[in-house]
Amino acid sequence: MSGQEAKENWEPKIVAIVCNWCTYAGADLAGISRIQYPPNVRIIRVPCTGRINPFYVVKALQEGADGVLVSGCHPGECHYLSGNLSARRKFATLKRFLSYIGLEGDRTIFTWVSASEGERFAKVIKGVTERVTALGPANKLVKKL
Amino acid sequence: MENIQKKLREEAGRLLEEKKVDVIVGYEAGTLPATATPCFITLPEEAQKLVWNSFCTQNLAKFVHDMISQHRNAQKRVKPEDRKKKVVGVVARGCTSRSIVLCLQERQYNRDEVVILGVPCTGYVERKKLSAALGGEEVLEAIVAGDSITVKTPAGEKKLALKDALADCCLTCRFNNPVISDVMLGENAAPMDADREYEEVTAFENLPIEERWAYFEKEMAKCIRCYACRQACPSCYCAICFMDQSQPQWVGIGEDATDTQVFQLMRLYHMVGRCVDCGSCVSVCPMGVDLRKFLKKLDKDGLEMFNNRVGASMEDVPPLSAYSENDKDDFIFNP
Repeated sequence: MSGQEAKENWEPKIVAIVCNWCTYAGADLAGISRIQYPPNVRIIRVPCTGRINPFYVVKALQEGADGVLVSGCHPGECHYLSGNLSARRKFATLKRFLSYIGLEGDRTIFTWVSASEGERFAKVIKGVTERVTALGPANKLVKKL
Repeated sequence: MENIQKKLREEAGRLLEEKKVDVIVGYEAGTLPATATPCFITLPEEAQKLVWNSFCTQNLAKFVHDMISQHRNAQKRVKPEDRKKKVVGVVARGCTSRSIVLCLQERQYNRDEVVILGVPCTGYVERKKLSAALGGEEVLEAIVAGDSITVKTPAGEKKLALKDALADCCLTCRFNNPVISDVMLGENAAPMDADREYEEVTAFENLPIEERWAYFEKEMAKCIRCYACRQACPSCYCAICFMDQSQPQWVGIGEDATDTQVFQLMRLYHMVGRCVDCGSCVSVCPMGVDLRKFLKKLDKDGLEMFNNRVGASMEDVPPLSAYSENDKDDFIFNP
């Protein structure tokens, strides 16, 4: 594929780091219910959003992800009671700091999707893909190999 | 200041004599003119070495943590009944005392393992700023008197306003007097210009996003990854830093610019609710990276989002060590 062609056919790569108990089950439900959503997302399953080191997000961006989505249980519904509440503080500060140093806010997106919200999961992925597509390929903080 | 220094020597000598502390961390005159360097004192007669002036720069809380944790590690091989406690005395200005509060909140050591000799602070002279104000001339002698600093250089004498030589973090410092102390030496110092502390950050926030990124890229391109900032930072006390880890290797070890950016980004981010703005990292940086612009933002976020000022009091827990059901949800994506 020539460079020009590659540019035209560009599709965003999105890393979704999701919690095992809610969003992963939500994605499963979306799949079982045959709800269509863009195939740009690569899902990584973790036990809980509280287990996500903010470094994962930064590292994904450095390794070439065009967008990173982090999703877990709604506040108050965490399988481990408070994992997502501490995660919320971490990500609130991380998101602010990343946009402060000049990374587009839409590259890092945080949301909650519960196990029964297959519909919402599809909507989230659609929304994230649209936003990241609008931004174009990531060029900040990306390691060129 | 002379007065405080005299009291400090007396008090330090007394504490060592009475064996209330095993060692005192303070400042002694540096080998170069107009510098002060951290020193460790174990004998009462050595207390005369201690100085307290406008050239005392480093945050000594770093050494308190180092010494106590090293001692505790060494005690692991001793039978429990024979273990000894090591008490460290420390000369602490506002920012040092806040770092100690943070370490205590993070359970790094106990309150009875540290004796705090509080000193009022009127700001310290930043070497790089002074040298820039002098146009790079060598400093032979410097005397601070009131609001001005008189510097002797090979070309002659120069008189500068003190605020042109004081570190940026000192000019807008909110806590120049210790927040906790066992012995307070001297009267509390006059407050600094704390109302303007976030001016620089607000100005930067209002820049267009591309300019912010360009600035970050430019500043991080200076970094040679000597890790002096990490070594000097009192909040960077991890036994194994993420930079030294090889499994997983978080950050590449090559010359890649993004590796440097990611290293700096993550070290900065680790300071959420933990940076006391002591300026130690800025003062040790050999390349003059503008770290404070980014650190101060984290401080501002901590205040805006969680109403927390780092180390301001023992009750104020670090924001990322706590959570609340009512935390703001405005950054959450809702399609």
